[in-house]
Amino acid sequence: MTGLKILAGIACAFAFITLPYWANQGVMFLAGLALIEIIFALAWNLLFGFTGLASFGHAAFFAIGAYLTGYVLKAAIGIPFLLLILASGLAGAVVAAITGLVLLRRTTGIHLAIFTLALAEVLRLFIGYSTALGREDGLASIPRPVLELGFTTIQITSGNAYYWFICVMALVLGGLLWVICHGPFGRVLVSIRQDPERTAFMGVNVRGYRLTAFILSGGFSATAGSLYAPWAQIVTPETGHWIHSTQPMLAALLGGAHSFWGPVIGTLVFSVINYLTRNLIGLSEVVIGVVLLVIVLAAPNGIVGLIKMIRRRFFSTPGSSPAGTRS
Amino acid sequence: MGLIDIAFALINGLATGMAIFLVAAGLTLIFGILKILNFAHGAFFMIGAYLSYTIIGSNPSSIWLFVVAALVGGVVVAALGYVTDLVVLRRLRNVDEAFMLIATFAVLLVCSGVVKLIWGVNYASINPPPGIDGAVIIGNLFIPSYSIFVIVCGVAIFVGLDFAIRRTWIGKMLQSIAVDNWMAALLGINVPVALTATVIVSFLLAGVAGGLLLANQTLSPILGDSYLLLAFMAVVIGGLGDVRGAFIAAILLGIIESSSSLIMPDMPGMATYLFVILFLLAKPQGLFGDHGI
Amino acid sequence: MSTILEVSDVHKSYGSLKVIKGVTFEVAKGDTFAIIGPNGAGKTTMFKVITGEVKRDSGTIRYKGEDVSDKTEFERVRLGMGRTFQVARTYPDVTVLDNIVVAIEVRRAARNENAPHWYNVSLRADIVAEAEEHLRDLGLSDKRDMEARFLSHGDKKRLELGLALAGMPEVLMLDEPTAGMSPQDRHATTELILRLREEKKMTVVITEHDMDVIFELASRILVLNHGEALAVGTIEEIRANPLVQDVYLGKEMYSAEG
Repeated sequence: MTGLKILAGIACAFAFITLPYWANQGVMFLAGLALIEIIFALAWNLLFGFTGLASFGHAAFFAIGAYLTGYVLKAAIGIPFLLLILASGLAGAVVAAITGLVLLRRTTGIHLAIFTLALAEVLRLFIGYSTALGREDGLASIPRPVLELGFTTIQITSGNAYYWFICVMALVLGGLLWVICHGPFGRVLVSIRQDPERTAFMGVNVRGYRLTAFILSGGFSATAGSLYAPWAQIVTPETGHWIHSTQPMLAALLGGAHSFWGPVIGTLVFSVINYLTRNLIGLSEVVIGVVLLVIVLAAPNGIVGLIKMIRRRFFSTPGSSPAGTRS
Repeated sequence: MGLIDIAFALINGLATGMAIFLVAAGLTLIFGILKILNFAHGAFFMIGAYLSYTIIGSNPSSIWLFVVAALVGGVVVAALGYVTDLVVLRRLRNVDEAFMLIATFAVLLVCSGVVKLIWGVNYASINPPPGIDGAVIIGNLFIPSYSIFVIVCGVAIFVGLDFAIRRTWIGKMLQSIAVDNWMAALLGINVPVALTATVIVSFLLAGVAGGLLLANQTLSPILGDSYLLLAFMAVVIGGLGDVRGAFIAAILLGIIESSSSLIMPDMPGMATYLFVILFLLAKPQGLFGDHGI
Repeated sequence: MSTILEVSDVHKSYGSLKVIKGVTFEVAKGDTFAIIGPNGAGKTTMFKVITGEVKRDSGTIRYKGEDVSDKTEFERVRLGMGRTFQVARTYPDVTVLDNIVVAIEVRRAARNENAPHWYNVSLRADIVAEAEEHLRDLGLSDKRDMEARFLSHGDKKRLELGLALAGMPEVLMLDEPTAGMSPQDRHATTELILRLREEKKMTVVITEHDMDVIFELASRILVLNHGEALAVGTIEEIRANPLVQDVYLGKEMYSAEG
């Protein structure tokens, strides 16, 4: 099975990397967007699928990264792009730290959902009223940057070049998240998700771990937003809308929130559905809605869970795959 | 800013608050009994609005037609609620909170997709029917009579709902389910039927609200979103599932929303969310705590 | 023997209901100390006050001479106070091995004992070896790769005990360790606790309904009644105590319902 999985992974990576050679501009744009949304969804799921906290305002972090990067690039201040991405991630992390310190004190569940939702709306409204950030029109015609690596500079101003840059970044960020989720830290998070009280009685500072997860999640979300700004070349308050916050949520649940790869598969499936139904406004929502309903009603562990269930039924190794940590 | 401004903001706020309450009423009812935060509520509110619009068009001929159209919309939406309960909600009782949220969100997506497929994405605007299209003038105070209409509707629905919950046997039955549905079953209450009935009433309220609030706003497929968010806040501040709490919270939010033009004139809407955040930090259980309806 | 746990004049009330009214006792190192009493006597609250789950209103709890009254649960665990729950709480979605591995990793990180780093993606051999040793102790070796939710009730209880033991506590607190078990399981668990206590030289604090289990395990007993300490002493002392006989043992000496 692992052989097959690796094969699928390689095929997928190959398809993404060679995409500019065989697909048109529109598809390439969507593919780049999908990669960015994958990072966003993975970041959100670090919080939900691994730690058990549902944030309904994660688009705010995405918007922070997108606006910061967009603003700096437009102003042509001359900060190296990689540093700018890092700064965006840090900005997201700092905001997450501040909000997390206040919110995670005593709120989980529905209250956390409403809190994060309200906070994100405040930020979105604020952006919409800020003249420096272009009000409701947002920041348009954001230039794509030049990559300065010290020993060499790479032009990523063309569509193809920036697309490959996104591929590399998705690999790096996704890889980092994979390591975080699969090491001892991730194991503690999964324990907290399953039973916070039991975990506290193993000597774990549950609040501290939750806060750390919140900070990491906010930081990675902002980083995703930072990659987004030069790709779309326009950033509007819509990036911070609560509808955007639901995007990673839906992807994670569709794919399977208890698995690391769930959000990846979910985002890809959503992108394909969006693409196939692009000509009829409203159809994509109906299809996605119905697919989600079927998933929730028939396979609450998402696509990954479904695959596992089928595999278990046909290859009969009951309970041998740890759903929580490794997948 | 004179006394007139304040009075105007108050009445305006009351009207906004009642509009929020009309949406929040069904939302809080379904939360109180089924413990579901129903994302799809806003979508059904919107469907109610579109149905009414289909019946009466942009220029309704009379106030009665306007109200009847709202009721018809409500009944159709109630029927849709029954279907939703049958297909989705009923299968998800006793399932993890997160899955419930996602399921209702999926229903929201389907609904808003269907609305776009049927009615398109164009904006429509609807005038209030004759009789409530003017204004009442008291001294220097100018009150749109449609605002008074909305306030009357909101108060009427609140009084009706509150009476039903606190004074009738149906209400007492629902209260016992809200507190402990296992005990209620033990006492011989047909819990599944009561739950389904709650869903139907909640959806009926959503549909009727859509029709009643139709005038003076732009009807578009994103209509549901804006109201839904405010109604959510009212439900949470009111103490999840508490109808009286939601009523008071809706008035509070309405007044803050409308007076934010006086407090933070540069940033309409902002004050409301700031208020919600501060309120919940100070009093996370809401106005009356979360128990029962 | 030296005192490891010292509870002095602890009070706790919920609203106007006084649950614990000035209870004082000491647990010596190496003791198996049982807290018993009729239903509603305050056993569970007393237990929770010691673990830190419930904060006492007044009085002090000292662990190895240090005042831990205001410390959180996890801080007390780090000092060496492990526990189990009345209804076994394990991690249902991961394997039996992974359950124990987390416990070991958390302990090592807290005590700076050669803990793995966050980027150590594969399980370290020494940790797996330690976990397997625990599983052998518990008799769960053959269920190593099974997800914990598929375990039987008794196995879950054993695994939970393993979670606590992997934290290498000096005081192990067991909240009704045999609750809901079949007589065979009950016997096996009692044997296991006896053996582990010998091997690991632990102090055990236990609440239990079953008097057979108490008499088999306990070296000292605290009897609570209406939130007050009725008596503290050895089994013989408690049996001989007229007060205890009167309100508690006298009626149903060996009944399962304490």
